[in-house]
Amino acid sequence: MKRADLVSGVVLTVFSIVMLIAVIPAQIEPAPDGYVSPRLVPNLAMIVIAGLSLLLVLKNLRTSVVEPRAREAVFSRPEMIALLKVAVVFGVSVGLFGLGAPLAAGIALIAGTLFLLGERRPLILVLMPAGLLLTVWLLFYKVLGTPIV
Amino acid sequence: MDHLIIGFQNVLTPSTLFWVTVGVTLGYVLGALPGLGKATGVAVAIPMTFYLHPVAAIALLIGIAKGSAAGSAVSAILLNTPGEPSSAPTALDGYPLARQGKAQKALKMGLFASVIGDFLSTLVLIALAAPLASYALLIGPVELCAILLFSLTFIGGLAGRSMLKGLIAAAFGVFFATVGIETETFIPRLTFGLLELDDGISLVPMAIGMLAVAEMVIQGGNAQTLDREAAQIDDSARPEDRRVTLAEWRRCLPVIGRGTLIGAVVGILPGLGASVGSFLSYGATQRASKTPEKFGTGMIEGVAAAESADNAVVPSSFVPLFALGIPGSVIAAILIAALVLHGLTPGPMMFLEQPQMIADLYAAMLCASVILLIVGYVGQRVFAQIIRVPIRLIIPVVLFLCCIGAYMTTNSLFSIYLMLGFALLGFFARKLEFSFVTFLIGFVIGPNLELTFRQSLQILDHDPARLVGHPIALLFGLLTIATVVWISHSNNRLSARRAAAQSAGTDQTAEHSHI
Repeated sequence: MKRADLVSGVVLTVFSIVMLIAVIPAQIEPAPDGYVSPRLVPNLAMIVIAGLSLLLVLKNLRTSVVEPRAREAVFSRPEMIALLKVAVVFGVSVGLFGLGAPLAAGIALIAGTLFLLGERRPLILVLMPAGLLLTVWLLFYKVLGTPIV
Repeated sequence: MDHLIIGFQNVLTPSTLFWVTVGVTLGYVLGALPGLGKATGVAVAIPMTFYLHPVAAIALLIGIAKGSAAGSAVSAILLNTPGEPSSAPTALDGYPLARQGKAQKALKMGLFASVIGDFLSTLVLIALAAPLASYALLIGPVELCAILLFSLTFIGGLAGRSMLKGLIAAAFGVFFATVGIETETFIPRLTFGLLELDDGISLVPMAIGMLAVAEMVIQGGNAQTLDREAAQIDDSARPEDRRVTLAEWRRCLPVIGRGTLIGAVVGILPGLGASVGSFLSYGATQRASKTPEKFGTGMIEGVAAAESADNAVVPSSFVPLFALGIPGSVIAAILIAALVLHGLTPGPMMFLEQPQMIADLYAAMLCASVILLIVGYVGQRVFAQIIRVPIRLIIPVVLFLCCIGAYMTTNSLFSIYLMLGFALLGFFARKLEFSFVTFLIGFVIGPNLELTFRQSLQILDHDPARLVGHPIALLFGLLTIATVVWISHSNNRLSARRAAAQSAGTDQTAEHSHI
């Protein structure tokens, strides 16, 4: 974790400095006279993050001199693959929703996730999306009487 | 008292009891599934309550929280994989009991201890919240700002192994809370020209993304291991192995009492969380036992100690929320969104403005405890089977519900984008051990912190020396500094011990706090 801490500390330090120098001044106008600046708290939060991230870097630099850096992987390969699969499914589903097909988006989300996570039984791939969508339709459109899409 | 009696009349209706039962059952199922905790359940369910009566809606959410706190023992006992970190000590003795074929006995004791701890802690909440709130009304903005800062530092310091990371996460939470139109000058902040961000970032899609979607991605990565463990469960046919005997009750009742007391005290202190409560209770029971060496081999007292404390934390963690408006845990932080949505703003004023609503809430909580006992006892065998369902079948259901929950917040795709963005952030936060819990609590108390900070600046006329006139604020300021120093030293000692244990090849260090 030490190596990951070192990298995340550096990234966060750079991020907070960029926010302080460029993003916050560009995105928040100065206050009219007599008002407390709306930049005050965002700036303070970023200053705290910059300071603490720098401390995180220094702490891990110091300990890595005394003991060798831990090499264990923070992100496992199966988890990264799962992240990619979920991202693909959501991409397709959101795309279909944007095209005006919410039902297809729902089917893509459920059946797509099932398929990408290794489910190959056709009955499950058909019945699960159908069952879930029907349940939601019954709950919102019939029981609660409030269409959601 | 009159309000409470009317509260029971309002809650003891078929409709409200139905929704409490639905909540408890859902919560129990969610809790039984590894990784799906009460916070996830409540976050996903909040939008579903939009169309319910306020009492029924909040009762449903409280039912989920209570059911899930009790249900997390199921996977801890049967799989040695706690549904939530706070059930980790339950697994220490619960899993060996299951391996001996006494899973039913352990599950029953876990349920009884959970219900007793939960019920008694709810009584503590009822007894303490209102008196504490009357004191809170005497507190001004300067004092409140100092208390909020102290709470956030305390929570940030205790969540996870690194105080630095906890505080960074808290600061990020406060930072994200500043997005949107500033209420004093009406100047948009960090909206990047997006009208959807003018009202700020919505808590519900953010919480759903960080808690549920991120967790599902990680579960998806570990699906094979989880499914393999679920396939190895065994059960005994002997009747005495399937029930709690009278002798065991006699041994466990004092343990449950102690666990409830520890859990209730830990819950009241913001930031300590259920894990600290259950580990403390387990440790205290082991120390008090005549046979401490047998703990970890299948002692029923271990299950009773951990579960009573774990469940006692939930109701008592609402004491700071109700009395001061400070969420002491992630579940309290998420419940704020639901309470506000249904017309109840947590804080000392709600006891004056809406006493009946509070009484309804208390009545619903007490009813939920009783329903938890019934649902848990009747459905235990079924719930125990749920963990055998392959995780690849569960993930799509949860992701689908997450989408519906997030979408319903604003009825626009923007909420889904927010959910996905924070899911990514939550995934990396989990893997890099930045506390997403502290982030969420920072986000929830951020607006109040900013408001009281601005008011304090005006009251003190930008002169820190004037703090001398506010001794309570000064005291909490000093407490904040002391907390930072104390936790920093404590973490350094823990790290040194862990490093020594690792070099000796026997890493026995207890798991550090998880809220």
